[in-house]
Amino acid sequence: MTGDARGWRIALLPDALVNPRHARGDALPNVVSALEANGYGLLQLPPAGGHALLLAVIADQIAEYAHHGYAVVAIGLRGEPGEGLHWRRLAPLLRHRGVAPPPRHVMRPGADPLTEHSRLTEFLTGHDLPPEERQRWRS
Amino acid sequence: MNPPAPRKVALLANCLLNQNAKVCEGARYRGIVSPVVEALLARGYVLQQLPCPELAFAGARRWWAVYEQYDTPAYRAHCRRLALAIAPLIERFLRDGDEVILVGLDGSPSTGVRFTSSEPTWGGRPNRPADDWAIVPRRGIWIEELEAELQRRGLPPVPATGWALDMGRFDEAGARRDLEEFLDAPGSVGSGDP
Repeated sequence: MTGDARGWRIALLPDALVNPRHARGDALPNVVSALEANGYGLLQLPPAGGHALLLAVIADQIAEYAHHGYAVVAIGLRGEPGEGLHWRRLAPLLRHRGVAPPPRHVMRPGADPLTEHSRLTEFLTGHDLPPEERQRWRS
Repeated sequence: MNPPAPRKVALLANCLLNQNAKVCEGARYRGIVSPVVEALLARGYVLQQLPCPELAFAGARRWWAVYEQYDTPAYRAHCRRLALAIAPLIERFLRDGDEVILVGLDGSPSTGVRFTSSEPTWGGRPNRPADDWAIVPRRGIWIEELEAELQRRGLPPVPATGWALDMGRFDEAGARRDLEEFLDAPGSVGSGDP
């Protein structure tokens, strides 16, 4: 795509990691900054409770990406219900749309922030589609 | 016990946190539109991403389109479904007394706030020359439907502006100044009326 800057990689991110000052994220690295630095966009997942229609809408978007050459990952937060990823509800919604659950990485509040940042960066840099899939969709 | 202090909440067009949602050739950033996020976080805003209406309707490989092409009953019904999905979160913010603003995407047929793209003759085989659409002062269709849903719930209008990404020639410095003026306007962040 001429002149298009998209990074082709997307992270599902719990609300508690998008807005960490309002949760338990003070000791964690800034995940949004890490995503930006590694060229990821994000899809924000709602806080715990309800949101059935919103999760279905988000699943529609994930499926569209997964079927068209985008790499999708999920970053959870230990200590949040379901790690903030709504996995019990989101996984069947994705299955119903023919999408395998994306690779997951879990942030650990209380762990050494530098270690957490390194783990996150390694996860983010290490994940993408195979070269032939990238060639098929992104050239 | 005292109620929690009101928060500042910014409702963000989906693509301001995820440029992969943009139509082909429309992404100006790899993922996150960092100038917007930085300006909001520096002012203490909580971020709430809105769904992308075009992606789930017309797909990741959709053609470019203008307001008139998306102004159909089916697309408006799709936008109303999305509005129903996100409105409970927005309603909770507003009922809690939080200060809520909306940052859309000016020039977008869907997410434009002050401006949208218009060309009533677009249609058929996509062979239009570049830059032959007009920018007109009007909401995009998704924003129209979202605001209508909030109004149906008896909620007050949300002050709104747009990041001028889809206005033809993108001027990041100008867009940043424009956004910061909106955020720093004394007393209120302005009506954002087109």
